[in-house]
Amino acid sequence: MASQGLVIILGALLLTRLVAVCYGNVIKFSDLERTLVVSASPRQGQVLEAGVDKITVTYGLNQNTSAGSVDSTYKTIKLKLCYAPISQVDRPWRKTVADNLVKDKTCTQNIVSEPYVASNTTFTWLIARDVPSATYFIRAYAYNYQNNEVAYGQTTDAGKVTNLFEIQGISGRHVSLDIASAVFSAFSVVSLFGFSYLEKRKAKKSTQAM
Amino acid sequence: MDGVITMEGERKFTLPVDSEHKATVLPILSAAKPHMLAFHLSWIQFFSCFVSSFAAPPLLPVIRDNLNLTATDIGNAGIASVSGAVFARVAMGTACDLFGPRLASATITLLTAPAVYCSAITDSAVSFLLVRFFTGFSLATFVSTQFWMSSMFSPPVVGRANGIAAGWGNLGGGATQLIMPLVYDLIVRIGATSFTAWRIAFFIPAFFQTMAAFAVMVFGQDMPDGNFQRLEKSGDKPRDNFLKVIYHGIRNYRGWITALCYGYSFGVELTIDNIIAQYFYDRFDLKLHTAGIIAASFGLANIFSRPSGGVLSDILGKRFGIRGRLWGWWVFQTTGGVLCIALGVVGSLGASVAVMIVFSVFVQASCGLTFGIVPFVSHRSLGVISGMSGAGGNVGAVLTQVIFFNGSRYSTELGITYMGIMIIACTLPICLIYFPQWGGMFCGPQPNYTEDDYYLSEWSEEEQRKGLHEASMKFAGNSKRGGTRKVDSATSPAAAPTPV
Repeated sequence: MASQGLVIILGALLLTRLVAVCYGNVIKFSDLERTLVVSASPRQGQVLEAGVDKITVTYGLNQNTSAGSVDSTYKTIKLKLCYAPISQVDRPWRKTVADNLVKDKTCTQNIVSEPYVASNTTFTWLIARDVPSATYFIRAYAYNYQNNEVAYGQTTDAGKVTNLFEIQGISGRHVSLDIASAVFSAFSVVSLFGFSYLEKRKAKKSTQAM
Repeated sequence: MDGVITMEGERKFTLPVDSEHKATVLPILSAAKPHMLAFHLSWIQFFSCFVSSFAAPPLLPVIRDNLNLTATDIGNAGIASVSGAVFARVAMGTACDLFGPRLASATITLLTAPAVYCSAITDSAVSFLLVRFFTGFSLATFVSTQFWMSSMFSPPVVGRANGIAAGWGNLGGGATQLIMPLVYDLIVRIGATSFTAWRIAFFIPAFFQTMAAFAVMVFGQDMPDGNFQRLEKSGDKPRDNFLKVIYHGIRNYRGWITALCYGYSFGVELTIDNIIAQYFYDRFDLKLHTAGIIAASFGLANIFSRPSGGVLSDILGKRFGIRGRLWGWWVFQTTGGVLCIALGVVGSLGASVAVMIVFSVFVQASCGLTFGIVPFVSHRSLGVISGMSGAGGNVGAVLTQVIFFNGSRYSTELGITYMGIMIIACTLPICLIYFPQWGGMFCGPQPNYTEDDYYLSEWSEEEQRKGLHEASMKFAGNSKRGGTRKVDSATSPAAAPTPV
């Protein structure tokens, strides 16, 4: 009993330590400057298929800012697929947490991660097969050498209203699965009747033998 | 007499049995026919049903993306998963009384297996809710487990038999939180995409459930002397009247109290199974994987905590009789309520995990203590009482989830605290349970009222003339022997001659 209690206490302490380690500086979305320009091939309202269609993204530093001034700290650019507000409704696991980018769940689908160059770059992405059905926009984050976000750009406006597109996810179903389900289900039910019939016969036989 | 191998005709039992041929000991590691074989078949089948019923929660992060579910859809499916069994448990109780636990349990297990197979082909929130609803019906096998154990094991050990069988079955709710993610990972590694992998994963619990039902059908036996159908046809066991069985069950107020109280031990356990992973994930920012392990540990405590409740009930019964069993039950369940309040109040991760583990022990032990009382409430309608109590557990789960964990009226921690208060309030009715032959929490037994009088009251004069009450009289005799009367040096069962 005592050793069980000790294990519980040690386990709890370890968990608390791990949680403490994870918390560093808190970065807010409002801390970031929108210095990147991102545009993507899908038009407003277009519906794309996961696993089939491709998205071409062009991104780079905003031409109106001079290279070498704001982007001296940029080390990597990460492109992400982000949920539009309509796909976040009643889904707390996709919540936008503007006060803390570590907890923010708006952009959970990674497209690509590239080293930063000031000039425009184009990337073509085949939509992954585990992308869920939802309405999206694309955002690019610029990271510094400490791997913290310092700037961003996105295909939509600040209110996340314009330029949204839809992706239709795969169903994951296959004909073979459908058939297997049907066969096994039928097997279960039929075997039940089989057993009951055998039971009745056994009972009748034993009373006849008496 | 206890402790002696009884022979009747050509039947001989490996384990020591009483006059009803129920075993008086419970050697866990044995598979002796028919008693221990029934024990193992019973808990394994129930375990498989629990694994299936709670197979979805650990895979929800993938399923919710595939089926485009909202939080409301998930909540409704969770409520549906436990509400199907409310009616199914009552029906199962009656089915056990009429057809025997072997046929009744294997039937429902085989009839719900299609729902688990079809989980692999759902494609919408509605179909997801429906498969969880129908899969949940399989939790009715709890009732058949308790009925079967009460038919195979004698009063001195019935508490622990019920407690261990049910506890190890409930283990499925914890084990599935570990099994399903592992199976899913394996399938993804083999090369399936995530939205297909979870579907394939569901075939594992479905197949396990089918095989468990087969084993019960082929190897199981309803009663120590044989199966219902054979015994009925040979005249050894008279077939009872359906309506009378139900009538005697529902008019016994004690059954309603055990149903209510079970709603606030087992019902709370089911609620926690559904919400605790998300609670730890959200409140303490854990990874889903870590939150899942904590959630699993709540359910896994069942391996010893619920059986301990059953064993404790038997120990208290031996020393203090039924009154001891009632007091133990009330103390443990009320303590569980206090710990539940504490769980909602503590603010740090370490304290929460510690409180949750202690809370799980008390809540699950209370479940075991409940079914140390249920076998004695009625003999004629044992199945109906077991079914009502079991169903009450699920009603409690539905109620607590609807009142405290639906929408955003209360934060989860406030909901947990209020649930604790409700546990304490709804456990008070245990004080009202009174057996005229044994007493209640605050009152002693009536002087000239015996066990025979109590169990005989379920049979009319005409039925007694036909001799239909004989099985109940055997049970009455055995119930005097252990676990219901206070032990006195002058009247210890071993010293006194067997009354005829």
